[in-house]
Amino acid sequence: MTETVTALPGAPGRTRGRGPRGGFDRASMLAVFVGVPLALYLVFVIWPMLQATVYSFTDWSGFSGSFGFVGLNNYIELFRDESFLIAIRNNLIILAALPVLSLAIGLLLAVMVTVAGPSRGGVRGVRGSAFYRVVAFFPAVIPSIIIGIIFAQVYDPNNGILNGALTGIGLEQFRSFAWLGEASTAMAATIAAMVWATSGFYMVLFIAAIRGIDTELFEAARLDGAGRMRITLSIVLPGIAANVKTSYVYAGIAALDSFVFLQAFNPSGGPKRSTLGITQEIYSTAFQEGRFGLACAMGIVLTLLTFAFVGLIHRPRKKAAR
Amino acid sequence: MYTPRFTTSRRVLTAAAGATVLALSLGACAATPGGPAERPSQGSDTTGDAKNPFGVAAGSTVDAVIFDNANNVAFFDTVTPTMQELHEVDLKVTPSTQIAQQVQPRFVAGTPPDLLHSAGSGSIPVASMLGDIEDLTSVTNAMNLNGEPIADTLYPGVLDLAKYDGKLAAVNYSLNVHAMWYSKSMFDKYGWEAPKTWDEAMELGAAAKKEGKYLFTWGKEGSAYYLSLAIDSAVKEGGRDVLASLANLEADSWSQPEVQQSFAALKEIVDAGYFIPGGAGTQFKAAQAQWSLKQEALMYPTGSWIEGEMGDEIADGFEMVGAPAPTITTESALPYEAMRFAGGNRFVVPSDAANAAGAKETLRVMLSPDAAAEFSRINKSLTIVKDTVPADGFGSTSLVSARDLLDTAGENAFAWDFTDAYPFGDDKTRIWNDFLSGSIDVDTLTSEMQKLSDKIREDDSIVKIKVGK
Repeated sequence: MTETVTALPGAPGRTRGRGPRGGFDRASMLAVFVGVPLALYLVFVIWPMLQATVYSFTDWSGFSGSFGFVGLNNYIELFRDESFLIAIRNNLIILAALPVLSLAIGLLLAVMVTVAGPSRGGVRGVRGSAFYRVVAFFPAVIPSIIIGIIFAQVYDPNNGILNGALTGIGLEQFRSFAWLGEASTAMAATIAAMVWATSGFYMVLFIAAIRGIDTELFEAARLDGAGRMRITLSIVLPGIAANVKTSYVYAGIAALDSFVFLQAFNPSGGPKRSTLGITQEIYSTAFQEGRFGLACAMGIVLTLLTFAFVGLIHRPRKKAAR
Repeated sequence: MYTPRFTTSRRVLTAAAGATVLALSLGACAATPGGPAERPSQGSDTTGDAKNPFGVAAGSTVDAVIFDNANNVAFFDTVTPTMQELHEVDLKVTPSTQIAQQVQPRFVAGTPPDLLHSAGSGSIPVASMLGDIEDLTSVTNAMNLNGEPIADTLYPGVLDLAKYDGKLAAVNYSLNVHAMWYSKSMFDKYGWEAPKTWDEAMELGAAAKKEGKYLFTWGKEGSAYYLSLAIDSAVKEGGRDVLASLANLEADSWSQPEVQQSFAALKEIVDAGYFIPGGAGTQFKAAQAQWSLKQEALMYPTGSWIEGEMGDEIADGFEMVGAPAPTITTESALPYEAMRFAGGNRFVVPSDAANAAGAKETLRVMLSPDAAAEFSRINKSLTIVKDTVPADGFGSTSLVSARDLLDTAGENAFAWDFTDAYPFGDDKTRIWNDFLSGSIDVDTLTSEMQKLSDKIREDDSIVKIKVGK
């Protein structure tokens, strides 16, 4: 001890530290910040995925300890199953519509409350923007299932507020019209509710991103005579492009799930299966039909679909980087 | 996790070498009677002691998982003291609303509950568990607490719905009578009568229209109640062969003339606009309230649980009673009074249960008249135990009506539940929504239903129950 003190006269406290520099050494650092999360990831993400993959090649009923391997039979059955193919089609429709609509409305709202204010004075949002921000974000704090239940009431053919309003202004063709019960409108009505529920969240994300853009850019553009539209397209959009892309991926993954809304509106898949989703098929196959092996195969297909979507979105960026 | 599982598989394969019933699925073998005795202590042998036929150990605990609703919890509160009194057995009840999700991991881990009440929307199909649950024949062969053989006290035929190759896989504790329910006071007021044929139903529909009402209503989750009505009507018209063909999933079974006539009759009612429009987009309970509370629809075809289900949402002075399904002609094979009934509230005892004897003893207590009467009082529902509902039906007109309908039907009562026992599931609901909203015709309805039957029939992984004629 005395030697150490003599050797380091200027820093007597250091000897008390655990490591050579008074903090974690490299090994413990790795163990805590990489090892633990990695272990959790392996146990709670990778392992279940592997398990599901294995189950997808079996006839496991879910309730017994045993199962037999059936090779690719589950997958073959899936691609011969009309319902499952329709479910894939429906999820692709949601994937095409939901992210675009949600993000567009979210962006519109974000621009409105940040830079679309009066064209005199500093660049700011419209009057009362704080209020609009709260109102628009409100749906994001309501649980999806509650929104599902509320909208199911809104769409009710005979007592719903939507048909009440439409017939109120003289549109008699909407009396007793079943928005969720007609093949032509069920999916659109479902997506509309999902857009309502999600766009506020993206608005908040985009507001934060827009705040990160250098305000001098806005001032300069204003001086050069740019209008709100020009500012939005030429400064806001390029400025938050990365956020939009990330949000798009996130919204896309949510669109491929969609379970809560689909189940809340039409648990049996909707008129002519027009709102049947993959996740609903998984749920009913596993828990109602007791065919976990087949359900796992569906899950694997959905996962691959999700990977394909994310890969597709990220590809152009890699090219640009090169 | 994998190792024990593969061990089981190997054991199963050994059993397969000797047993012939293994066409089912690998999982189905573990408890096959006659296979290698894995658990001699839990065989279906009874002790011969009428007071303790299954040899439940005093001081033991029965772990029961039941479907959670207020009525079930209240009912089990009356069973628990009896178990304590009889055998000092502690009946521990865990209510759950998601039976399948909650219990499934316990089955896999080999530590399932002793007694499982598989009911509600999260119930587990009996066929999925078939290899992992006990044969309950010993329970119905035992004496009840009053010293009568339980089998003699039950409505005949109802347990057949849970019999797989002679194995009683479940006890369907409650008994549901499927009828067209209506308000007796309203019918009296307008001088209406329940229709005995579809022609009379059309006339009643026209009469209802005059009063600004509709004959029927439906909700998007409950469209298949009309499938049940159509099947009942066809079975009454053509006899039990019609039912056997449908329940055995035969090719072209939905094209049988009686089924077609029944579908056509409903199509006529749909086309005449005698259904409240918009049902395919209406939540089922809201739709049912259109009938029970607002009284905009005259009749609703469903099970006898409906009064309990609607609770406060029934108009004052409604006087709910049921009527049999209409026949197609007045010369039907079964009389107009013939009724469909089915069991609800399935109870199973897992083979791996630590206290299977205790679970069977619990069922024996439940199947005794006192407990059955309590269940009827609390739930306003029949149980499979006969003669336990007093004349006043505990103040429930629908309970009295259900009992009387069944008594009147007598030998002509028929039981089926193949559309629930097989995975017709959400598909039938969707198809019937489309049919009742008028967007598909009888031919499409028939081919879609046939497609479902064919798919289930050709799927060897689905265990079949053969229905005799």
